[in-house]
Amino acid sequence: MQFFMFHLMPYPYLPEDFDERESAWVTLPNTTYDPTVGTGLYNRYLDELEYAEQLGFDGICVNEHHQNAYGTMPSPNLMAAALVRRTERLKLAIVGNGLPLRDHPLRVAEEVAMLDVISGGRIISGFVRGIGDEYFSMSIDPSTSRERYSEAHDLIIKAWTTEGPFRWIGKHYRLNYVNVWPRPLQQPHPPIWIPAFGSTETMTWAAERHYTYLSVFAPSKLLKRWFDGYRAGANAAGYEAPRDKIGILLPIYVAETEKEAHAEGRQYVTWLYHKGLKHKFEHLFPPGYMTDHSWGRFLQSGLGAYSDVSYEDLVKQGYAVVGSPATVRERLAELAEELGFGLVNALLHIGDMPHDHTIRNMELFAREVMPHFRTQSAAA
Amino acid sequence: MSGQNGQHVAQHLDLGGGQIHLMRAGAGEELLFLHPAAGAGFWLPFHALLAERFDLISPDHPGFGESDRLEWIDGMEDLVYFYLDLLEELGLESVHVVGASLGGWLAAELAVHQPSKVRSLVMVDPIGLDLPEHPVEDMFGMNPDELRAALFVDQELALQFISPEPTLDMLMRAFKEKTSFARLAWNPFCCNPKLHRRLHRVTAPTLILWGSDDRLVPLAHGEHYRELIADARLEIIDDCGHAPLLEQPGPTVEAIGRFHAELAAKGAC
Repeated sequence: MQFFMFHLMPYPYLPEDFDERESAWVTLPNTTYDPTVGTGLYNRYLDELEYAEQLGFDGICVNEHHQNAYGTMPSPNLMAAALVRRTERLKLAIVGNGLPLRDHPLRVAEEVAMLDVISGGRIISGFVRGIGDEYFSMSIDPSTSRERYSEAHDLIIKAWTTEGPFRWIGKHYRLNYVNVWPRPLQQPHPPIWIPAFGSTETMTWAAERHYTYLSVFAPSKLLKRWFDGYRAGANAAGYEAPRDKIGILLPIYVAETEKEAHAEGRQYVTWLYHKGLKHKFEHLFPPGYMTDHSWGRFLQSGLGAYSDVSYEDLVKQGYAVVGSPATVRERLAELAEELGFGLVNALLHIGDMPHDHTIRNMELFAREVMPHFRTQSAAA
Repeated sequence: MSGQNGQHVAQHLDLGGGQIHLMRAGAGEELLFLHPAAGAGFWLPFHALLAERFDLISPDHPGFGESDRLEWIDGMEDLVYFYLDLLEELGLESVHVVGASLGGWLAAELAVHQPSKVRSLVMVDPIGLDLPEHPVEDMFGMNPDELRAALFVDQELALQFISPEPTLDMLMRAFKEKTSFARLAWNPFCCNPKLHRRLHRVTAPTLILWGSDDRLVPLAHGEHYRELIADARLEIIDDCGHAPLLEQPGPTVEAIGRFHAELAAKGAC
């Protein structure tokens, strides 16, 4: 089992009347954000990610979200740049980049290649579409999201793997000279991670290309369906999906005792799902972001808003794992068995968790939980 | 393919690579009705009233109502060329045009591209102009309560058109139509920034109607259209929001009727 430390870098200081606000996204005024506080937060969060190297994690993850309190990394490449020079061994997964949200795909090809070269080949390149709210925040037509994503992806991969200059004539991008400097260090290109929200199209697409498939926050019974879909896609493409190409994003909180873990963890997990992930429905699902078919499936799934799921159900249904080291080991083993993943993106800073609890959480997880799975995979 | 449904005939045309649904009723001079972004495919009291005076032709735009989405249509200009093809397909040299909201914008664009095709022009609360000082509200981000408040004065009536308990079919249809609308109007938002420069090309006598309490598109848009089109006047529909077709169909059709009676008297068309 591989373990990555995932961070969202939320801005936890919400206005007092937040519960009456429609969302932590798009319309939450940016005066909520105090840059003086931000200086402390960014540096503290970066320290936490850097500490993962000492604790023996395989890697760390940065990600991309725009104009919200849930995650304050609008440019994941900037965060990766800050981290590559302060780490030596860790893999660095960028989950970003939101391809349709960028005007120019070659900026992504160039920046990720730069990071790969600077880091000596430690970069993992995620490709995402960005969430619905971001199509409002960036005024990008959501009905072109899928085709812009697909074309930008094809262009970036070709730019990394084909001798330049070459000409690119697509629907959304038309370029006479594609000749990206620097080229990535890893050959043929950095590993690709694809986070997804259960669309059949994406499962098949990722499996056909042997890309790592990542889940996002959802109950485990749904994750089972998604991962099965990815495995089926791999089978259809003529191979068996290895476990380490299937990754789960999981908020995890470990404390010395069960009681302590829930007493503290309740607030953090609740902040994440009930505040940070508070969306206006119309913003989260803009027109054309999904195909008509996927929209129909989504409506029929009866999946409600995160904020409708109680803390008890969030834990019970596998949205988060909270407990003593023994409980977390058992629960993680149970989920790994049920879902068949070989990669854990552990969200070890959750919501409004303070620094000392984050550090203790990371240490307990690294010392009391991770080794159990290392031995297991070594034995297997 | 065609079928009789009460007062109107429903047709399905093969055009532009898909099936286009079109409703037609009445007699007299041909009038092309261009619907707004929501509610296509329904035969409303407004249609029935208009069909008492004209040979009313009411297509569902591609990707709206019961018409197929045509993948090549990803902007207003494509939709204009689709409608020029449609007029040819129907063998119509020129028509009277009435368009509401999105359909009003489309009507103005048609009259700019092919002035000779448009005998007279009626625009009801049209979007389409780029007026940064008078922004159109973002209906894409509105929930049903906000939409009702933005579109209607009469909130009871609004419940009939925007249901508090939508069925799966209604949600599917709304998503399809909003997706098609996004392709035309997401960015630039609800306008063609070049349109104001081109409106001098409109030769048709023009009536602009505006709901007295339109909270979605400010009246300034109507005033600008009036100033930019050579032969245009602006009338207000009282006790009415952004959707006069739904909220005040009688007075709206009467205003259109008066306008046409005057044109006929002048022998203008």
